Amino acid sequence: MTDDLDGAVLVARAHRPADDWRAAIHEACAPLLDAGAITETYPARCVALVEEQGPYIVLAPGIALAHARPEDGVRKLAVAAVTLHDPVEFAHPDNDPVDVVFAFGSPDADQHVDLLSSLAGHLLTGLADRLRAADDDATAQRLLEEVRNAP
Amino acid sequence: MSTRPEPLKILTVCGVGMGSSLMLRMSVEEVLKRMGVAAKVEATDVSSARGMKADVIVGQGLHTEEFTGKAPVVVGISNFMDKEGLEKQLTEAFRSEGWME
Repeated sequence: MTDDLDGAVLVARAHRPADDWRAAIHEACAPLLDAGAITETYPARCVALVEEQGPYIVLAPGIALAHARPEDGVRKLAVAAVTLHDPVEFAHPDNDPVDVVFAFGSPDADQHVDLLSSLAGHLLTGLADRLRAADDDATAQRLLEEVRNAP
Repeated sequence: MSTRPEPLKILTVCGVGMGSSLMLRMSVEEVLKRMGVAAKVEATDVSSARGMKADVIVGQGLHTEEFTGKAPVVVGISNFMDKEGLEKQLTEAFRSEGWME
């Protein structure tokens, strides 16, 4: 794949606690904040977008893809994957409850295209289930790193 | 009944036009390839889509409702990974437009 994918920040965490969907989005953004890939304002923007636009970020049963816009505070191309200890409800008509939350940030309107394309491909081959089965952060991290390579 | 435009102009829509709509664009492109239908698929946000012309609009139901009647084919989906379901929905919609036998 491209240099962009080699340089992307990927961080995974397993079995995180979250009381509701807002907490789940903050939990998914936390590793990106720790890695310096996003600014402190970004997670709240991800939550606000769902409040404004509805729970469309729940893009398959059990799986959400949280994000905001480049201008909402993105420093580096990054994806985080977090599995939840207890699933949360997003009030999605079909895809609740959610227990795998991805968060991503792209510094501009294009850099994320290859990365999300690869993520989509890996989701289609069962990445979400593999992450669910990961008992610790290190295992989840190894699984997410697969996204650097085309599915 | 009408002739199917070649290539079809398709918009996949979501709130920001960067995440869900992009994932959906990939699924739509793959399904149309399998169906042998030529198309140009673009991912965009709902508010931009309001000002655009398209033959087909695909998005989550909560976003596509408002587009009913604004494009010949409007398809609401809930699971971007369900390609068989997507193919079935597109095939049925194309048939009722006379775009497929």
